[in-house]
Amino acid sequence: MKRWITLIGFLVIILTVTACSGKDEKATGSSGDWTPEKPIEIIAPAGAGGGWDTTARMAAKVFTEEGLIDQDIGVVNKPGGGGAVGWAYIAGKQKSSYNLFVSSPPIVLIPLNGQSEYGHEDFTPLANMIADYAAFAVSADAKWDNLNDLFEDMKKDPASITVVGASSPGSMDHIQFIQIAKAAGVDVTKIKYVSDQEGGGLTQVLNGSADVYSTGVAETVEQVKAGKIKVLGVSSEERLEGEVIEDFPTANEQGIDATFVNWRGFFGPPDMDDAAVKYYEEKFKELSDSQAFADIREQYGWDEMYMDSKSYKAFLDEQKEEIQSLLDELGLSK
Amino acid sequence: MDSIEGIITGFQVAFSMQGLLFVLIGVFVGTFIGMLPGLGPISAIAVMIPVTFGMEPTVALVMMAGVYYGAVFGGSTSSILLNAPGISGTVATAFDGYPMAQQGKAGKALAIAATSSFVGGTVSVILLMLLAPILSSVAVSFGPPAYFALMFMGLTLITSLSEGSTIKALISAVIGFMVVTIGIDAQTGTQRFTFGNVNLLEGLDFLVIALGLFALAEVCTLIINRKDLSMDNAHKLGSLKITKQEFKEMRGPMSRQSILGFLLGVLPGAGATIASFIAYITEKRIAKSPEAFGKGSVKGLAAPETANNAATSGAFVPLLSLGIPGSGTTAVMLGAFLVLGVQPGPLLMTDRPEIFWGIIASMYIGNVFLLILNLPLIPYIAKILKIPRPLLISLVIMFSIIGVYAISFNTFDLYMLLLFGVIGFFMRLFSFPAPPLILAFILGGMMEQAFRQSLTISNGSLMIFVQDPLALTLLIIALLSLAFPLIQQIRRSKRA
Amino acid sequence: MFKALNQRISIILLIIAVAYLVMAYQLPAYPYTPVDADVVPKGLGYLLVFLSICLFFAKDSETEEQRSRRNIPLKDIGTLIAVFLFILLYITLLEFLGFIITTTLFIYFCSWFLGYKKHLTNGVVALIFPIFMYITFTKFLQISLPQGLLPF
Repeated sequence: MKRWITLIGFLVIILTVTACSGKDEKATGSSGDWTPEKPIEIIAPAGAGGGWDTTARMAAKVFTEEGLIDQDIGVVNKPGGGGAVGWAYIAGKQKSSYNLFVSSPPIVLIPLNGQSEYGHEDFTPLANMIADYAAFAVSADAKWDNLNDLFEDMKKDPASITVVGASSPGSMDHIQFIQIAKAAGVDVTKIKYVSDQEGGGLTQVLNGSADVYSTGVAETVEQVKAGKIKVLGVSSEERLEGEVIEDFPTANEQGIDATFVNWRGFFGPPDMDDAAVKYYEEKFKELSDSQAFADIREQYGWDEMYMDSKSYKAFLDEQKEEIQSLLDELGLSK
Repeated sequence: MDSIEGIITGFQVAFSMQGLLFVLIGVFVGTFIGMLPGLGPISAIAVMIPVTFGMEPTVALVMMAGVYYGAVFGGSTSSILLNAPGISGTVATAFDGYPMAQQGKAGKALAIAATSSFVGGTVSVILLMLLAPILSSVAVSFGPPAYFALMFMGLTLITSLSEGSTIKALISAVIGFMVVTIGIDAQTGTQRFTFGNVNLLEGLDFLVIALGLFALAEVCTLIINRKDLSMDNAHKLGSLKITKQEFKEMRGPMSRQSILGFLLGVLPGAGATIASFIAYITEKRIAKSPEAFGKGSVKGLAAPETANNAATSGAFVPLLSLGIPGSGTTAVMLGAFLVLGVQPGPLLMTDRPEIFWGIIASMYIGNVFLLILNLPLIPYIAKILKIPRPLLISLVIMFSIIGVYAISFNTFDLYMLLLFGVIGFFMRLFSFPAPPLILAFILGGMMEQAFRQSLTISNGSLMIFVQDPLALTLLIIALLSLAFPLIQQIRRSKRA
Repeated sequence: MFKALNQRISIILLIIAVAYLVMAYQLPAYPYTPVDADVVPKGLGYLLVFLSICLFFAKDSETEEQRSRRNIPLKDIGTLIAVFLFILLYITLLEFLGFIITTTLFIYFCSWFLGYKKHLTNGVVALIFPIFMYITFTKFLQISLPQGLLPF
């Protein structure tokens, strides 16, 4: 049978090519200055178009266009498991100085929910870049005018108030609300939370299915301008700057001592070389200070929040502890 | 009146030299990307965003809109020619488009698809123009109970997708529903049937299942029949001309599904995929000869192609007038708006009428461009079928693999694709229909979530489905459509 | 026993349904919801049990054409399995060897194996097509496909 020879031929060639290709990853000396010698890959652990993807692509664009880094920078999407698939991929790139990734609070939350083997401790934090904050909105004709009114009613009759957000329980939109509500003295185990992943949260508040929409500040601006919803509180420490958002009261000024930051920054694989960490830290600092990136921040409504590797790590550890205790109280930690 | 003035401004924008040029570029790029495996409107818009940097917002957005519906349009080609849907909105197109191409009428099938897309696109833009301000309230009127009722209604139509055994169709549907339960449950965060595998946490992608059950299963059949001479018809392109008789057949589905598709597109979360399936099954339900469906029926091809394009325009209603992205695609589209410094929402129509009406007006022209761009290309595109069968088989396999890889960037999903290819092949051997599985996969997941959201809101009371007038109406329609065939049967037996 | 084809299939389905149900019963409970994550899966499991029992007793309603689909010559079964293995190998090596190398090898050998004799055309298509796709995706659309061993 002649055609079976084809099959064997295919196998032989494949195996030969495979055998002849011991991949040689050169380890760079850890002493002195380090500069990249081959293209850098930035992983967005999500599909095209989301927040992580946008941040990664914009950073790569400015790095290249402003000549901050000479090597090619490619953005690669590794979607799945809310980030878990991408993290598992990076975890396999131990010590590489050419594989970075972008992340935000889910890298702390998702491991605590038992949905990822890897958390922030497994990676090398390089630099945090930007911050965003949570906003809690209700329909414009709702009876509550501030967070305290709302939380008062929640304490009295928790079953009558529904909170809606895009993520599943234990993830960001849920936790940011819980964190503020808990500080206000609400029994967090009685909060009714519905997840609508198709972005229907706003719709549900507008048509009265749900009462409170837990989301990001940027998502509320246009609806507030149009008088459809009102924002009862935001999770930043101080008032935000900018048209409309400067009118949003913080939880702090309403006497609730709690904040929540949706930070976003870059990480490297486990055990990244110190010289490389230093290199990237500096480059991200330059990026953060550049006019081009400032323009991008403004376009997307992001706040500047640079942290270097060391303070970033300390910040993450603190975040983890805080959220861990919240999840413990909810009985959701795994 | 303000809006009349706005509409005039819009047409001025769209008919300017710049406007025309960028609409043309948009639909061309969109069609091209849409034809590539795995790349639908989401990727097409995402990859075009950087191109728009520094462009004048109106022009840039007119182009992006062109990219969007161009990509929806482009996706149908591979469904018809290869039974390999590139995007989820064109899976239903393959049901009758592929059989028609196999009968040597590939040219005609592509022409029907182009024509009905054009009609669906144009009618829905008219509706968009007339109704956008009013419909914005409809878009938000659907709460979780109404969504549940809508999905339930869709599922009751499932048995009409079967040929022969109803039991087998139901089994397919239950299995499709079971497959969609894999992954993290949105309401509780519980991992269901993931076997601790991170790749399963977000569940299986729709395209993995569609390409497996349709494209790879078809590859198996092609391999077995590769020397069968009676299959040679498939090499023929056939005439492009749609006869008067055929056009008559298309008229009904086109007019009904332009409207229905548009309305489903308006609802956040429903979108082109659901619209195209609902279009297909409703047309099959009301057709005089439903047995022709699935065997190359003109109606069966015209219905989903009209609906998916109509739904695309519908999706602009919540996006433009409320700033609510109703689907993954419009979410990325929203990103494109934001990058250009334009915030869609209730104020867009009054603050930036040139953008609001410019985009809508440009869609008329875009649809015309799509038609004149694509009709002359059909003979060349259909040449794909002239590729010798062994080579074509290899290329279809490669197409499916890139298609899945471009979505997940993960070889795990490719193994899943292969698994569903095998399942699809066995389903064919034992006469289990694949469409109910696909439909249950799409509707089931949303139905379960809407059901449980409703009950969380109502603290567990089922009354919420009766108290919501929309939900109640839809549920009654669903029950009637279940009872209808039974009543018919009883009548028939009485007469006999 | 279970001679009829429907009966054998229904036994397989029953096993799937029971396995699915067993897993559904092991799902952990979540305290804050009226309808937990296990309700719908349990319903689906029992529904499949019910339907497979129905199938067991159902009359065979297949047409002659549908039945003839199962008459596959032994040789073709071999071919199917071989192509299946080709695909498996293609997927397994895709990320390691890179998109262009694996796809070229796959198209060339798979087409040849299926009986395509024009080696020159085959070789040209097998080379041009993946390169075209690769460049379109990675250079124009910025969507990365596995680069593998090649330097670009």
